Amino acid sequence: MGARRWLIRLTPYLLLAPGVLWLLVFYVYPSIQMFISSFWSGTLETGFTFSFDNWRTYADALDRYEPQFVRSLVYGGAATIICFLIAYPLAYAIAFRGGRYKNVLLFLVIAPFFTSFLLRTQSWKIILGDDGILFGPLKDAGFLPPEFRVLATPAAVIAGIAYNFLPFMTLPIYVSLEKLDIRLVEAARDLYAGPWRPGGIVAGIVVGALVGAGLAAAMSYDVVVMAAIGLVVGLVIGAFFVSESFLRVVLPLSLPGVFAGSLLTFIPAMGDFVNAQILGTSETRMIGNVIQSRFLQNNDYPTAAALSFILMAAILAMVAVYAKILGTEELTSAR
Amino acid sequence: MTDQKPLQIQQPDITRRQFIQGTTLVGFSAFLAACGTSGTGSPSASAAASPSAGASTEPSAPASVEPQSPSAELNFANWPLYIDTDDNDPTKHKTLEDFKAKYGTTVKYSEVINDNDEFFGTIRPALQAGQDTGWDLVVLTDWMAGRLVRLGWVEQFDLANMPNKVANMQDVYKGVDFDPTDDHHAPWQSGMTGLGFDSKVTGDLTSLEALWTPDPKWKGKVTFLTEMRDAVGLTLLKLGKDPSQATVEDGQAAVDEMQKAVDAGIVRAFTGNEYAEDLVSGNVVLAMAWSGDVIAKQAEKETLVWQLPDEGGMLWTDNMMIPKGAQHKYTAELMIDFVYDPKIAAQIAAWVNYVTPVKGAKEALAADDPDLAESPLIFPSDEVLAKVKIFKSLTEDEETTFNDAFSALIGN
Repeated sequence: MGARRWLIRLTPYLLLAPGVLWLLVFYVYPSIQMFISSFWSGTLETGFTFSFDNWRTYADALDRYEPQFVRSLVYGGAATIICFLIAYPLAYAIAFRGGRYKNVLLFLVIAPFFTSFLLRTQSWKIILGDDGILFGPLKDAGFLPPEFRVLATPAAVIAGIAYNFLPFMTLPIYVSLEKLDIRLVEAARDLYAGPWRPGGIVAGIVVGALVGAGLAAAMSYDVVVMAAIGLVVGLVIGAFFVSESFLRVVLPLSLPGVFAGSLLTFIPAMGDFVNAQILGTSETRMIGNVIQSRFLQNNDYPTAAALSFILMAAILAMVAVYAKILGTEELTSAR
Repeated sequence: MTDQKPLQIQQPDITRRQFIQGTTLVGFSAFLAACGTSGTGSPSASAAASPSAGASTEPSAPASVEPQSPSAELNFANWPLYIDTDDNDPTKHKTLEDFKAKYGTTVKYSEVINDNDEFFGTIRPALQAGQDTGWDLVVLTDWMAGRLVRLGWVEQFDLANMPNKVANMQDVYKGVDFDPTDDHHAPWQSGMTGLGFDSKVTGDLTSLEALWTPDPKWKGKVTFLTEMRDAVGLTLLKLGKDPSQATVEDGQAAVDEMQKAVDAGIVRAFTGNEYAEDLVSGNVVLAMAWSGDVIAKQAEKETLVWQLPDEGGMLWTDNMMIPKGAQHKYTAELMIDFVYDPKIAAQIAAWVNYVTPVKGAKEALAADDPDLAESPLIFPSDEVLAKVKIFKSLTEDEETTFNDAFSALIGN
């Protein structure tokens, strides 16, 4: 009897053990190792020595790589917004209009994941090639000037990131929409929740213009033009596609999915280096590129480790603020 | 300072640069002159009668006490486009099949090296921990080869297993500063860095100025190399300075000069071998380029040209080495010796179009393809050799300074 009680008490810990062990070996241990190496000084050939006096590595790294940090934040943020703009309608359509094709559509969302990340990014290089299958004919027909290009610009990097992380945004939103009780929407309609014309138009204009301007700034395109496009698109969506039942019932209930999706997209997007490497230039390099090359090419382990910690701290701080705004329970209660 | 670093070999006063400049070019041209006369007699006969070729094909009796036998497989890491490749099947390499026919060893050949530093980063943890890297044979550029030797991370060759290598290595390659006894490295190919361009778009270019003042239409279609010594070296030549004498100030001046091209929106990216694909697809029309790459890509795009710039170009050598703790050291030695057979060397040179380090390769090639044997890119003339420079052997401090300035330029 006593043994049985013990077993029952121990069960939760036993269930936790594999995960905890995993984290200890593959997260805690490397983190400590990295923390130590961030306080090293020296070179590969002379050997490294540890001293807390080397805290300056952090200050120097932050100072020297500020542009790359800012770029990671901007590109990661822009890609997350683009992912949201594409993923929400997509998830909505699959959840509410997918019918018997739901599973097929979901499969199609994940299908690109069956190919390697590198290959997927490389294929963008082929599609977006200066004289490639997309722009080649457009240039020949005179729609685009011959020097026009998307590759090797911030836009290519952001688009690449958005493409690669789209499923991470789509799936959580889909899950929260799919679980949504449709009777709540019907009830809202019964309670006179109709179209949302005036409010929708104003909100659409404001949000559309802001998003357009923000993305333009991130991609270094013309802010005014992009804001105008955003404004028009926002107006149309606000006027015709947003009802009061959506605003008051569907959207709030899907926020946990949006929250989880944007974290799953933003965190890896900020640390990504493959897209900037393949689709970008020396002017679009992100902090992930710096960490990678500091580690692997320059053998500058202290700086690389310090940069990794700064990145981790920055992401944690931003997630904390985001969670504060949207409410932490949204994350854990994602249904 | 140096006495605390047991791993670091004392640098002799004569650096490799001086050595190569002093003896090498003379020796190289002497050799070329020599084969110019002997090769013309009867090409087929000279190839067949090549003494070393005959000696190599006999499996030599093992000199050591323990008899050694070739292993079933050999893991060989090399750069892309760096070995003869079947036109129809890019996974087939005749040289490796010949090796298998002779020794029964399946060579697992991986084109994984795109950048010296990057590859070094992948093998470093294992080497540092004293473990096997998984590779039996790697090919790295001379300065990186020097670093590996200094760190004590390569196996010493048993020269008794490599009669071809001892007999056929060009004299110019002998006694480099990082390996005076020639038993830690074996040159794979040498090459030159210069201009690569699509002549259909750019016309003929001969000056490095083109990289800084291209036609406005090519803006954003120009690439520079991530290999610091190549990018800085070419820029120094453009500035009228000698890369073999580069000072720290020169390095900074070169970086500043490249920064101008970046700021002007001329430079699309800093690349490793990727520029070759981009030249073919048309994303890039002008690049700092390695001689053999461009020639190899001419098969896909005839209008590609590699040009030694008027101001001069860079010369470098990639070397085969056996990483410390390699599983199949003996077989790796056999492989090194195998590619020092002039016939095999000719077979590789004919495809990769880089400068071969093997004596007798020109005669062997002349038998099959007399035109190619005259290729100035595989067997460069004295004039060409007079115009190419080898980057200075940097001390560790200098290297750090150069790398830091260059890293800032390329966004690292």
